[in-house]
Amino acid sequence: MSEERGERRPRPRGGRRPRRKVCNFCVDKIEYIDYKDVNRLRRFTNERGKILPRRMSGNCAKHQRQLSEAIKRARAIALMPYTVD
Amino acid sequence: MNRYEMIYIIDTGLEETARKELIEKVSALIEANGGEIEKVDETWGKRRLAYAIDYKTEGWYVLVNFKAPAELPRELERNLQINENVLRYLVVKLVEKRSNVKPRANKPAPLGAPDEITAPVDDEAPVQEAPAAEAAVEAAPVEEAAPADAE
Repeated sequence: MSEERGERRPRPRGGRRPRRKVCNFCVDKIEYIDYKDVNRLRRFTNERGKILPRRMSGNCAKHQRQLSEAIKRARAIALMPYTVD
Repeated sequence: MNRYEMIYIIDTGLEETARKELIEKVSALIEANGGEIEKVDETWGKRRLAYAIDYKTEGWYVLVNFKAPAELPRELERNLQINENVLRYLVVKLVEKRSNVKPRANKPAPLGAPDEITAPVDDEAPVQEAPAAEAAVEAAPVEEAAPADAE
Protein backbone atom coordinates (compact mmCIF):
# COMPACT_ATOMS: atom_id res chain seq x y z
CA MET A 1 0.00 0.00 0.00
CA SER A 2 2.73 2.37 0.91
CA GLU A 3 4.44 1.49 -2.35
CA GLU A 4 1.47 2.68 -4.31
CA ARG A 5 1.27 5.88 -2.40
CA GLY A 6 4.88 6.66 -3.17
CA GLU A 7 4.29 6.31 -6.87
CA ARG A 8 1.03 8.19 -7.00
CA ARG A 9 2.38 11.23 -5.23
CA PRO A 10 3.73 13.86 -7.61
CA ARG A 11 7.49 13.85 -7.59
CA PRO A 12 9.22 16.90 -6.22
CA ARG A 13 10.97 18.93 -8.88
CA GLY A 14 14.48 17.94 -9.77
CA GLY A 15 16.25 14.76 -8.81
CA ARG A 16 15.19 11.16 -9.08
CA ARG A 17 13.29 9.92 -6.09
CA PRO A 18 14.24 6.45 -4.89
CA ARG A 19 11.52 3.88 -4.56
CA ARG A 20 9.71 4.00 -1.27
CA LYS A 21 11.24 1.49 1.13
CA VAL A 22 9.07 -1.13 2.74
CA CYS A 23 9.41 -2.28 6.31
CA ASN A 24 11.32 -5.57 6.41
CA PHE A 25 9.48 -6.79 9.47
CA CYS A 26 6.05 -6.07 8.03
CA VAL A 27 6.97 -8.01 4.91
CA ASP A 28 8.14 -10.97 7.00
CA LYS A 29 5.09 -10.60 9.26
CA ILE A 30 7.16 -10.50 12.42
CA GLU A 31 5.17 -9.65 15.53
CA TYR A 32 7.95 -9.73 18.05
CA ILE A 33 11.52 -8.80 17.22
CA ASP A 34 13.71 -11.14 19.21
CA TYR A 35 16.82 -9.67 20.73
CA LYS A 36 18.52 -13.05 20.43
CA ASP A 37 18.25 -13.04 16.66
CA VAL A 38 21.58 -11.33 16.20
CA ASN A 39 21.94 -12.01 12.50
CA ARG A 40 18.74 -10.23 11.72
CA LEU A 41 19.46 -7.35 14.06
CA ARG A 42 22.91 -6.85 12.66
CA ARG A 43 21.46 -5.91 9.31
CA PHE A 44 20.02 -2.81 10.93
CA THR A 45 23.23 -1.47 12.32
CA ASN A 46 26.04 0.16 10.43
CA GLU A 47 29.61 -1.06 10.50
CA ARG A 48 30.21 0.99 13.62
CA GLY A 49 27.42 -0.82 15.40
CA LYS A 50 25.04 2.12 15.37
CA ILE A 51 21.34 1.60 14.81
CA LEU A 52 20.32 2.71 11.34
CA PRO A 53 17.69 5.43 11.18
CA ARG A 54 14.32 4.68 9.68
CA ARG A 55 15.08 6.72 6.60
CA MET A 56 17.83 4.24 5.80
CA SER A 57 16.26 0.98 6.91
CA GLY A 58 12.77 1.84 5.70
CA ASN A 59 11.15 0.29 8.75
CA CYS A 60 7.76 1.38 9.94
CA ALA A 61 7.60 3.26 13.23
CA LYS A 62 6.19 0.34 15.15
CA HIS A 63 8.91 -2.04 14.11
CA GLN A 64 11.66 0.51 14.38
CA ARG A 65 10.72 1.00 18.01
CA GLN A 66 10.77 -2.73 18.66
CA LEU A 67 13.99 -3.08 16.74
CA SER A 68 15.84 -0.44 18.70
CA GLU A 69 14.66 -2.06 21.93
CA ALA A 70 15.85 -5.45 20.71
CA ILE A 71 19.25 -4.12 19.67
CA LYS A 72 19.70 -2.43 23.02
CA ARG A 73 18.88 -5.64 24.82
CA ALA A 74 21.29 -7.55 22.64
CA ARG A 75 23.98 -5.03 23.48
CA ALA A 76 23.33 -5.36 27.18
CA ILE A 77 24.17 -9.07 27.17
CA ALA A 78 27.12 -8.73 24.84
CA LEU A 79 25.46 -10.29 21.83
CA MET A 80 26.04 -7.10 19.90
CA PRO A 81 28.64 -4.43 20.31
CA TYR A 82 27.89 -0.93 21.55
CA THR A 83 30.61 0.38 19.30
CA VAL A 84 33.00 -1.00 16.74
CA ASP A 85 36.18 0.87 16.08
CA MET B 1 2.15 -15.05 37.11
CA ASN B 2 4.07 -13.56 34.23
CA ARG B 3 6.23 -15.23 31.69
CA TYR B 4 9.85 -14.24 31.72
CA GLU B 5 12.93 -15.04 29.78
CA MET B 6 16.33 -14.73 31.30
CA ILE B 7 19.78 -14.91 29.83
CA TYR B 8 22.86 -14.91 31.98
CA ILE B 9 26.50 -15.27 31.16
CA ILE B 10 28.73 -17.42 33.32
CA ASP B 11 32.46 -16.98 33.49
CA THR B 12 34.13 -19.62 31.31
CA GLY B 13 36.88 -19.89 33.89
CA LEU B 14 34.43 -21.82 36.02
CA GLU B 15 34.76 -25.61 36.04
CA GLU B 16 32.01 -27.61 34.46
CA THR B 17 30.79 -29.06 37.74
CA ALA B 18 30.75 -25.65 39.36
CA ARG B 19 28.90 -24.28 36.38
CA LYS B 20 26.26 -26.99 36.60
CA GLU B 21 25.92 -26.25 40.27
CA LEU B 22 25.42 -22.58 39.60
CA ILE B 23 22.76 -23.25 37.00
CA GLU B 24 21.04 -25.57 39.48
CA LYS B 25 21.22 -22.93 42.14
CA VAL B 26 19.61 -20.31 39.93
CA SER B 27 16.86 -22.73 38.93
CA ALA B 28 16.28 -23.63 42.56
CA LEU B 29 16.05 -19.97 43.45
CA ILE B 30 13.33 -19.43 40.89
CA GLU B 31 11.34 -22.36 42.14
CA ALA B 32 11.85 -21.47 45.78
CA ASN B 33 10.22 -18.11 45.14
CA GLY B 34 7.10 -19.46 43.52
CA GLY B 35 8.39 -19.59 39.98
CA GLU B 36 7.90 -22.33 37.47
CA ILE B 37 10.71 -23.24 35.12
CA GLU B 38 9.65 -23.98 31.60
CA LYS B 39 12.98 -24.51 29.96
CA VAL B 40 16.67 -24.19 30.68
CA ASP B 41 18.59 -23.88 27.45
CA GLU B 42 22.32 -24.37 27.51
CA THR B 43 22.69 -24.98 23.80
CA TRP B 44 24.22 -21.57 23.34
CA GLY B 45 27.12 -22.65 25.46
CA LYS B 46 30.40 -20.91 25.09
CA ARG B 47 30.18 -17.83 22.96
CA ARG B 48 32.39 -14.96 22.06
CA LEU B 49 31.27 -11.76 23.71
CA ALA B 50 30.67 -8.79 21.47
CA TYR B 51 32.87 -6.76 23.78
CA ALA B 52 35.12 -7.63 26.67
CA ILE B 53 33.52 -7.82 30.10
CA ASP B 54 36.09 -7.69 32.89
CA TYR B 55 38.74 -8.38 30.25
CA LYS B 56 37.02 -11.63 29.32
CA THR B 57 36.21 -12.26 25.70
CA GLU B 58 34.16 -15.41 26.14
CA GLY B 59 31.20 -16.39 28.22
CA TRP B 60 28.89 -19.31 28.83
CA TYR B 61 25.35 -18.33 27.87
CA VAL B 62 22.38 -19.84 29.67
CA LEU B 63 18.84 -19.14 28.60
CA VAL B 64 16.00 -19.78 31.02
CA ASN B 65 12.29 -19.49 30.37
CA PHE B 66 10.09 -19.35 33.41
CA LYS B 67 6.78 -18.28 34.83
CA ALA B 68 6.89 -16.31 38.00
CA PRO B 69 5.09 -13.76 40.15
CA ALA B 70 6.05 -10.19 39.47
CA GLU B 71 8.28 -9.85 42.54
CA LEU B 72 10.64 -12.63 41.53
CA PRO B 73 12.81 -10.91 38.90
CA ARG B 74 13.94 -8.33 41.40
CA GLU B 75 15.06 -10.99 43.86
CA LEU B 76 16.62 -12.99 41.05
CA GLU B 77 18.57 -10.02 39.75
CA ARG B 78 19.77 -9.20 43.23
CA ASN B 79 21.23 -12.70 43.55
CA LEU B 80 22.81 -12.69 40.12
CA GLN B 81 24.34 -9.34 40.85
CA ILE B 82 26.01 -10.75 43.94
CA ASN B 83 27.43 -13.80 42.19
CA GLU B 84 30.77 -12.88 40.72
CA ASN B 85 30.77 -15.80 38.29
CA VAL B 86 27.83 -14.27 36.50
CA LEU B 87 29.17 -11.68 34.09
CA ARG B 88 25.86 -10.39 32.81
CA TYR B 89 22.19 -11.17 33.09
CA LEU B 90 19.06 -9.97 31.43
CA VAL B 91 15.53 -10.74 32.56
CA VAL B 92 12.86 -9.88 30.03
CA LYS B 93 9.14 -10.15 30.43
CA LEU B 94 7.56 -11.93 27.52
CA VAL B 95 4.57 -10.11 26.19
CA GLU B 96 1.81 -12.26 24.90
CA LYS B 97 0.77 -11.20 21.47
CA ARG B 98 -2.33 -9.11 21.81
CA SER B 99 -4.15 -6.74 19.58
CA ASN B 100 -4.60 -3.22 20.83
CA VAL B 101 -6.73 -2.30 17.88
CA LYS B 102 -10.39 -2.37 18.67
CA PRO B 103 -12.74 -3.23 15.84
CA ARG B 104 -14.20 -0.11 14.37
CA ALA B 105 -17.62 0.69 15.79
CA ASN B 106 -19.90 1.30 12.85
CA LYS B 107 -23.19 1.10 14.69
CA PRO B 108 -22.86 4.07 17.05
CA ALA B 109 -22.12 6.44 14.18
CA PRO B 110 -25.74 7.43 13.44
CA LEU B 111 -26.31 8.02 17.14
CA GLY B 112 -23.13 10.02 17.49
CA ALA B 113 -23.76 12.09 14.39
CA PRO B 114 -26.51 14.34 15.76
CA ASP B 115 -24.43 15.00 18.85
CA GLU B 116 -21.51 16.01 16.72
CA ILE B 117 -23.62 18.44 14.78
CA THR B 118 -25.12 20.10 17.81
CA ALA B 119 -21.86 20.31 19.67
CA PRO B 120 -19.98 22.54 17.19
CA VAL B 121 -22.98 24.84 16.98
CA ASP B 122 -22.88 25.34 20.73
CA ASP B 123 -19.18 26.01 20.54
CA GLU B 124 -19.43 28.39 17.65
CA ALA B 125 -21.95 30.68 19.24
CA PRO B 126 -19.58 32.19 21.83
CA VAL B 127 -16.76 32.31 19.30
CA GLN B 128 -18.87 34.36 16.96
CA GLU B 129 -19.97 36.64 19.71
CA ALA B 130 -16.48 37.44 20.84
CA PRO B 131 -15.18 38.96 17.58
CA ALA B 132 -18.51 40.66 17.13
CA ALA B 133 -18.15 42.37 20.46
CA GLU B 134 -14.63 43.50 19.63
CA ALA B 135 -15.68 44.76 16.24
CA ALA B 136 -18.49 46.64 17.85
CA VAL B 137 -16.07 48.62 19.93
CA GLU B 138 -13.95 49.46 16.89
CA ALA B 139 -16.56 50.28 14.33
CA ALA B 140 -20.22 50.57 13.55
CA PRO B 141 -22.37 49.20 16.35
CA VAL B 142 -25.42 49.41 14.13
CA GLU B 143 -24.07 46.90 11.65
CA GLU B 144 -23.19 44.48 14.39
CA ALA B 145 -26.63 44.71 15.85
CA ALA B 146 -28.28 43.59 12.63
CA PRO B 147 -26.72 40.08 12.37
CA ALA B 148 -27.38 39.60 16.05
CA ASP B 149 -31.05 40.15 15.42
CA ALA B 150 -30.98 37.87 12.43
CA GLU B 151 -29.66 35.08 14.56
